[in-house]
Amino acid sequence: MTASTAQDLQPAAAELDQASLQRLRELDPDGKNHVVERVLQAFDTSLQRLLPQGEQAFAASDRDALRHVVHTLKSSSASVGALELSRLCGDIENCLREYGIEGLGAPWAALRHEAGRVAGAVQSLLGREKAGCA
Amino acid sequence: MTPAYPLAVEPGIKPPEVLLVDDDEVNLLLTAIALRERGFAITESSGGEQALKQLADWAPDIIVLDAMMPGLDGFDTCQRLRRMPGYENVPVLMLTGLDDDASITRAYQVGATDFFVKSTQWSLLAGRLHYLLRASRTRIELERSKAKLARAQDLARMGSFDWRRHSASGLGLLQLSPEGLRVLGFLPAERVSLRNILRRVTAEERPAIKSWLRACMHHSTPLKKDVRLKMLDGSECVIHMEAEPEFNEHGHAIGYTGIVQDVTARREYEQHIQQLANFDALTGLPNRHNLVARMERAIQHARRLGHSCAFLLIDLDRFKIVNDTLGHAAGDELLMEVARRLRACVRHSDQVAETALEAVGARTHRTLEAVGRLGGDEFIALLPEIADDDDAQRVAARILEVMRDPVLVGGQECFVTASVGIAVYPRDGHTVADLLRNSDVAMYSVKATGKDASAIYSPQLAGQGRAKLELESALHKAIERDELVLHYQPIVDVRSARMSGAEALMRWQRGSTLVPPGDFIPLAEESGLIVPLSEWALREAARQARIWRDNFGFDDTISVNLPSRMFERSNLGEHIHQSAQAYGIPHRTIKLEITETGLMKDLQQVIPSLEKLKSLTVEISIDDFGTGYSSLAYLTTLPISELKIDRSFVQNLGITTESAGVVTAIIAVARSLGLRVIGEGVETLRQMEVLHRLGCSLMQGFLFSRAVPPDELQRWLQQTVLPRKAPWIGQADELRDGETAPRRLRRR
Repeated sequence: MTASTAQDLQPAAAELDQASLQRLRELDPDGKNHVVERVLQAFDTSLQRLLPQGEQAFAASDRDALRHVVHTLKSSSASVGALELSRLCGDIENCLREYGIEGLGAPWAALRHEAGRVAGAVQSLLGREKAGCA
Repeated sequence: MTPAYPLAVEPGIKPPEVLLVDDDEVNLLLTAIALRERGFAITESSGGEQALKQLADWAPDIIVLDAMMPGLDGFDTCQRLRRMPGYENVPVLMLTGLDDDASITRAYQVGATDFFVKSTQWSLLAGRLHYLLRASRTRIELERSKAKLARAQDLARMGSFDWRRHSASGLGLLQLSPEGLRVLGFLPAERVSLRNILRRVTAEERPAIKSWLRACMHHSTPLKKDVRLKMLDGSECVIHMEAEPEFNEHGHAIGYTGIVQDVTARREYEQHIQQLANFDALTGLPNRHNLVARMERAIQHARRLGHSCAFLLIDLDRFKIVNDTLGHAAGDELLMEVARRLRACVRHSDQVAETALEAVGARTHRTLEAVGRLGGDEFIALLPEIADDDDAQRVAARILEVMRDPVLVGGQECFVTASVGIAVYPRDGHTVADLLRNSDVAMYSVKATGKDASAIYSPQLAGQGRAKLELESALHKAIERDELVLHYQPIVDVRSARMSGAEALMRWQRGSTLVPPGDFIPLAEESGLIVPLSEWALREAARQARIWRDNFGFDDTISVNLPSRMFERSNLGEHIHQSAQAYGIPHRTIKLEITETGLMKDLQQVIPSLEKLKSLTVEISIDDFGTGYSSLAYLTTLPISELKIDRSFVQNLGITTESAGVVTAIIAVARSLGLRVIGEGVETLRQMEVLHRLGCSLMQGFLFSRAVPPDELQRWLQQTVLPRKAPWIGQADELRDGETAPRRLRRR
C-alpha cells in the first residue's frame, strides 16, 4: 500500500501530511511493531478525550484547562501529520498565553471543525492500516 | 537495588535507563519508540505523580520530563524529585515548546539539568541524552574524586582555603573547605572570617602572628607557618598553614590560596624526639648534649651581663660497688633516686626559654638552672648566676646533705655519698670544656682526700691532678717495665724463735725512688689496675717461694694481700693454680690476706670464692682484724684459717688496759674457732712479751724485721735467726721456758 493509493481511495486522508506519516513509518520500517497503527490509535483516543475536555473548558472559560488541551493536541496532531489542526492549536495556545480566552469563539470553532475532519481521516487510515497489516 | 549514582553507563554494555514522563499518549509512545530504536531502555510514565511513585524504588540513569502536564507538571515533578535522596544530581532533561522562553528559565530554576525543544528529530534527542549521560558520569567521577580528596584531607587532618582581598574589609573574604573548617574546629558550613581565626590564636602568639600576616600580605609573599590555636574544648592545636599568593591578569595580588593542616600529633612526635635527644632516658634529666648547650648559653649570658656562673660536677662515691654487687637494675634504681634528690637541690627547669640573647636584663638565663646527667654516675648542677663562691658551696652542701640519706635499692639500704667539684666562670675557665675539666679536677681532689665533700677548683689542684694522671699512666707501664717488686716481712713464732712465713708487700721501684704502697695502691684500686697488679703479685710470690725453697728449703707460706674485688673474680683460684704450677710449688704455699673491712663489705660475693680456695688448700687470713665490724656468726662459718690482730691494738699493749682487753678477746675468739692468730706491728720486746703472755706467739713487726727485699730476708734468716743472735730470741727463750700451757701446734 502506498500513500497515493490511500489518497485515491479516501479523499479525507489527504488532511494528514504524508511526510509526517512517512517519519512514523521510518520508526518501524518493516511494520512489525505496528507503530503507525499504535500511534494513530493513541492519537484517536487522545483526540476523543481531549475534544470534550476542550469544549468543557471553553464553555467554562477555563483558560488553563483549554491551554493544556490545545498544547497537547498541538504536538500530537503534528506527529500524525494533522498539520492544519496543529497550527490551529498553536494559534489558540498563543492567544491564550497573551490575551486570554475571550474572542476565541471563531478559532475554537475552526479547530473543532478541523478536528472532526482529522478524526475521520485517522479512522479511515486506521481501517486501512489494520486491513493492510492483518 | 540500583544505586542512586549509577557507577557507569557504558553504551553497548548496559543500555542507559531512561524514565520518560509525558501525559500526551502520542508523544510518549513516539518518543519511547524512537529512543528504544536508539539503544535506550525506556520506562514510560504518563504523569508527574506516577513518575515520582516509580522513582521511589527504582533509579534511572536519566529522566526526561514533559514540562506541560496536567496535575503535577514537569517543573513541579523536577522540584520534588530533586528533594528525594539520591536524586540531587541525576540528569533531568525538560521537554519544552519551541517558543516557550518562560519554561526554559523555569526548567533551570527547578533544577533541570537541561531543556530540549520537542521535535520529531529523534536523533537530536538521543544525542542530547548521550551528552547528558556522559556529563553525569564525569560529574560522578568528579564527585568521587572530590570525596577521595576530602577523605585524604580528612586523614591528613588537612583542609583548603581561599582568601580574597576585599577593599571594603581590611580582613578580606575567607572561604574554607568543609575539611578546613573541621581542622580549625569550626562547625560545618559555619561562616568564618580571618578575625574569627585570629581570635583563636593563643594570646601570647597573637600580636606576632598579626604583624607577620600583615607583612606577608603587604609583600604578597608565600605564607608558611605553624600556629597554635585554642579549640572550643580548651585544648590547644598546632595548625600548619601554607599558602601561595594569587594574582589577576594585571599582576595584582588578589589573595591567597592554600591549605591548613592539624600537625598537633606531628609536633608531639617532634617533641618526643627532642625529649630523647635532650634528656637522659633513665633519669629524665637533661643529658650531656643538652647540658653543654645550656652551659654555653649560661656562659654567654654571664659574659654579657657580667656575672659569674658555676658548674658543680657531682660524682657518686660508691656507685661502682652498688652496680657491681647488686646489679645494673639496682644501679639504675639508685641513679633515679639520686636524680630525684639532686633535682630538688636547684631551681631545676626542663624547659629553657627560647628567648634569645637580646632579652638582656630579662634574666631569662635563670631558666638554664638545672641538674643534668653527664653520663654514668656523673651529674652536673648548673647555676647560671652566682654572687660569689658561697652560693655555689651552699648548693654543694645541700647536695652532699641529701645524698647522705640511705637509698633503698633492690631491697637493700645503700649509703652513697658524692664528691662535688666546683668550677666558676669566668675565674676558672671561659669555655665549657675548660670549666668541665676544672670541675673534674676539683672533684678528683675531693675523691683523693676522702670523698663526701666539695671543693672549688684552684690551679694547685690542677697540678695535683696532673701529677696523679702521670702517676696513673706510669703505673700502667710499671708492670711491663718490671718496676714492681715484692718486699717480704717475716712472720715469726716467738715460741720456737723461728720464721713461720712471710707477708709479701708491694713496692714500686720508680726510677731511683721506691714508692710506698700508700701512694699508689689507692690509685690502682680506683683505676682498676689493682687487678693486674694483684695477679702479678701472686705469680711473683710463687716464683719467690720456689727460689727460697731451692736456696734454703723454704716450706712455709707467703701471704699476699688482695683487695676484696679480687675475690669476686671467678678465675682467682685458677690463677693461683697456674702460678703455683708454673714454679712447681704446692697451692698452700700461697696464703691470701683480705682486710676485715673488705671481707665484710662484699661478704656475699666473696664467700663462694673463699670456699673454692679452701678446696685448693689455699688459706685465707683476715688482716687488720678488730678494726671493722665482723659478725661472729659469720666468722664461725667462713672458710678462714687466721686472724691478724691490727697493729693499733698491739702498739697500745702495755700502755692502755683496753688494748689488752681487745687482744685477749680476739685471741679467745680465734682459739674457740680453731684459728691461728698473728699480732702485727710488734715493735718492742714489751709488746712481744704481753702478746705472748696473752696467748699469741705468732708475730710480725719491726722488732723482728721490716719488709725487705727477698735476698735480704734470706740473709736475715741466715745471719740473725739461725745463729739466734737477735735480742728478741733470748726473750723468747725465757718466755718459752716459763710457759706451762700446752703448746699449740702450728699447722704446716
